[in-house]
Amino acid sequence: MTVEKSNQQDRCVGDQGERARWEAIARAAADLQSEGEGEDRRSELLAFRLADESYAIPVEQVREIVRMRPITPVPRVPKEVIGVVSLRGEIVEVVDLRIRLGLASNRPVRHTRIIVLHGDSGKVTGLLVDEVTKVLRVSEDDLRPTASSESDVVHALYRRGAEFISLMDINRVLEL
Amino acid sequence: MTRKNDPSRSSKVHREFLAEAEEILERLRNDWADFEDQKHAGGEIDPVLINGLFRSAHSLKGLSGMFGIDGITDLSHHLEDLLDSLRLGRLSTNSPQAELIGGVVRLFGTVMSNLGDESEDVHMDEAIRELIGRLDLATASEVEEEESVLPCLLLDSTLMRALTEYEEHRLLENRRSQKNILLVEVAFEILSFDEGLSEISGSIREVGEVISTLPSPGAAADSQICFVLLVASDLDVPGMIGHIDFPQATVTAVPEEGGVSPLAANPVAMSPAASPAVASDEPQTEESTIIAASPKAPASSVEATAAEASAVVTQEVSDAKHPDSEERSAQGKDSPEFTSLRSVSDTVRVDIRKLNDLMNLVGELVMHRGSIGRTVRLLSNDPATARHGEDLGKVHKDLSRKLKDLQSSVLDLRLVPLRQILDKLSRVVRRLRREEDKDVALELHGVDTELDKLMVEELIDPLVHLVRNSFDHGIESVEERSAAGKPAQGRICIDAFQRGNHVVIQVSDDGRGIDPEQVCAKAEGMGIIQPGVELSEREILDLVFHPGLSTCTEVTGTSGRGVGMDVVRENIKEMGGIVTLESKRGEGTITSITLPVTLAIIQSLIVGVADQSYAIPLNAVMETLLIDRNEIQRSEGHELLNLRGEPLLLRRLADEFSLERSPDGEQVYVVVIGLGESRIGLIIDLLQGQQDTVLKPIQGPIREVRGISGATEIAEHGTVLVLDVAAIVEDSFRRRDRR
Repeated sequence: MTVEKSNQQDRCVGDQGERARWEAIARAAADLQSEGEGEDRRSELLAFRLADESYAIPVEQVREIVRMRPITPVPRVPKEVIGVVSLRGEIVEVVDLRIRLGLASNRPVRHTRIIVLHGDSGKVTGLLVDEVTKVLRVSEDDLRPTASSESDVVHALYRRGAEFISLMDINRVLEL
Repeated sequence: MTRKNDPSRSSKVHREFLAEAEEILERLRNDWADFEDQKHAGGEIDPVLINGLFRSAHSLKGLSGMFGIDGITDLSHHLEDLLDSLRLGRLSTNSPQAELIGGVVRLFGTVMSNLGDESEDVHMDEAIRELIGRLDLATASEVEEEESVLPCLLLDSTLMRALTEYEEHRLLENRRSQKNILLVEVAFEILSFDEGLSEISGSIREVGEVISTLPSPGAAADSQICFVLLVASDLDVPGMIGHIDFPQATVTAVPEEGGVSPLAANPVAMSPAASPAVASDEPQTEESTIIAASPKAPASSVEATAAEASAVVTQEVSDAKHPDSEERSAQGKDSPEFTSLRSVSDTVRVDIRKLNDLMNLVGELVMHRGSIGRTVRLLSNDPATARHGEDLGKVHKDLSRKLKDLQSSVLDLRLVPLRQILDKLSRVVRRLRREEDKDVALELHGVDTELDKLMVEELIDPLVHLVRNSFDHGIESVEERSAAGKPAQGRICIDAFQRGNHVVIQVSDDGRGIDPEQVCAKAEGMGIIQPGVELSEREILDLVFHPGLSTCTEVTGTSGRGVGMDVVRENIKEMGGIVTLESKRGEGTITSITLPVTLAIIQSLIVGVADQSYAIPLNAVMETLLIDRNEIQRSEGHELLNLRGEPLLLRRLADEFSLERSPDGEQVYVVVIGLGESRIGLIIDLLQGQQDTVLKPIQGPIREVRGISGATEIAEHGTVLVLDVAAIVEDSFRRRDRR
């Protein structure tokens, strides 16, 4: 249900609006990086959607967000690594987060995005997600550690109104 | 001297030297100009400036030493000495001797612009000798007045001992220029002291100089660490407290013996009062000491003397540095002053990453060209648009040609001669010769062979290793050699040459060669091979590359530990190259390294399997075959092909990568791949042509995939994986042998 709703909203906004939104997110991400530590220990999270679940990762780990592009499959790798893409000449592995979290894999749709993470020494990685939704400003007090049994890749929960967003532990996600 | 024999080599050496030396010279000139400015402004010379000059002189010395340009090495060495004296205050920056720096800098310019001009060599050498003579005199007349001022400062003796010579000098300098010497004591939390320290130092630097920062024992709490900063400033104690505004800091003035006059030459205080008093009592006895803060002379007269003295010296220096100036202008050349301002070499140094970016851009352009090509075909096939298609086709062809030129020009930028590293090997051999007392000559051939800059860097370690191997294991002792009827002097030879798209580097020696029996015995002993197994000569030599196997029975300092040849092979493989060994017992060993000319572009064969495309580096492709399906024979679970009487092991790429295997047609494509002697036939669905490909590493959490060495982008196929042929061949044989 939620999927369709957001699709419709977007259709209304149109491509122009969507681009503006992207630019806003990118700017927000860049601002945060230059800002450094805030006064009241606020951090910014990039929120995205997988199936009908909301997740987020710290914005400073994100290098860029790109649209879906042709993916070249790579043999002999775990099934989560669906292949490599070329980013302006750089060849980067893409991890399908749906498969990584044990969800059913999905055909790419209009909102499918690859979140490209910064990586030290050859570890730049792309994460395939259903949709990038927003940048959240949260204070660290709002983050609650999850019960240990919940998931091996989520290390905190953030409550936003009635909605829960799971903060992902990227290092755990990339332990393949 | 080699440069006399071979003018083309010498001019190339000079060009390379100048490319780097000019940057240093430029820095020297700028710093010297600042130096003069500061001096004419009548102020103190910023110690940072002298340090900068010192570093530049040092770099120039190293650089010219490397290129064997002796005149400049000598001159910069002496300049370094002079600057060191200035830096440590043994010589005053106001002294006439300091003016020599300008003379040296100008002479550097003149010598550099005349490099390679043999008719000028004599003049240059003369000028250099002359100036070095003056520099020697200058540094010999150092002022010894350290003790004359220090003792009058009542500094704590432990603190005094902790100061370096340079810091002591700065203390003196500041004292001499009537600065207040203060001690700032401050305690920080251990966890965050670095931040606090840099904050307070920064604040002090706004109004003075931090001469030294020393940890001190006087911390109030265990979690704190206390520092003492020795500071020179125009501000007095209350002024400093007001300025730094640091509640935890205490500021005290360093007390002086005798109170008022800091320069009162009274050698009592801390250090044992022995001899030093004399120097300061009679500073005028030696001429060179006049400027260096004669305690009794009023400041103005000191300056006047300095100006006079330096004026004279400048005159002398400018005369001295062009002994041939008249002759030169008679020849109608530019005045040396003028030439020295112009750049002598026309070289630009570029970060290799910028070249990579450029390379990527060109690669993208090539992709776009591909899509234009497709559009041309579409247009041409439609009668309605055929005419436009033809026009566009012509433009497309032009574009393709120009792109190709562009690509090869960009590629050319990355290439550098091998000389850079081969010269290093000469030094290695020279050192080994000294250490091991073995008489070995090193011969270098083909030092101008060009190779990708990145590869040249990576080649140093493997080559050093090979040369050491030859030196330690190959070349026999003199006794052994004469017993075998060989000349007493051993010979190691490095040959570099281009062969097609590859560069071959051979390291050969006329030593004892590799003993196959010894290798086998050792390999058996280590359980690498089964006893009694017959091995071909090639297989035996291949054992040398096995990790842990080294033929030398004893371990020397440099080699013989059995880590080495496997690392060499690994390193070369990473560059897309191969290492092969040839050895004749008693006659010597030849190790050949074959590398693609550049890492950036490799020729690849594009093949298709199960709707996927893969690139196979062409240097690993022996041939491609189209065979009838029924020519494939089966034996013990693997497929074979009778290729001109020899069995060729076949491997399906679809199986290798667990892809869907398409049913064989009447005929199947086989690509024979391999490096050296081991080869297999790779069965694929389609041949899709040859391409220039840019091999790129794969980034991500997995990266190392067995059988894949990277990826490349090709216009029609998008991102394509490049096969690691060596791994696939090796795995195929291992799989067969396991059965």
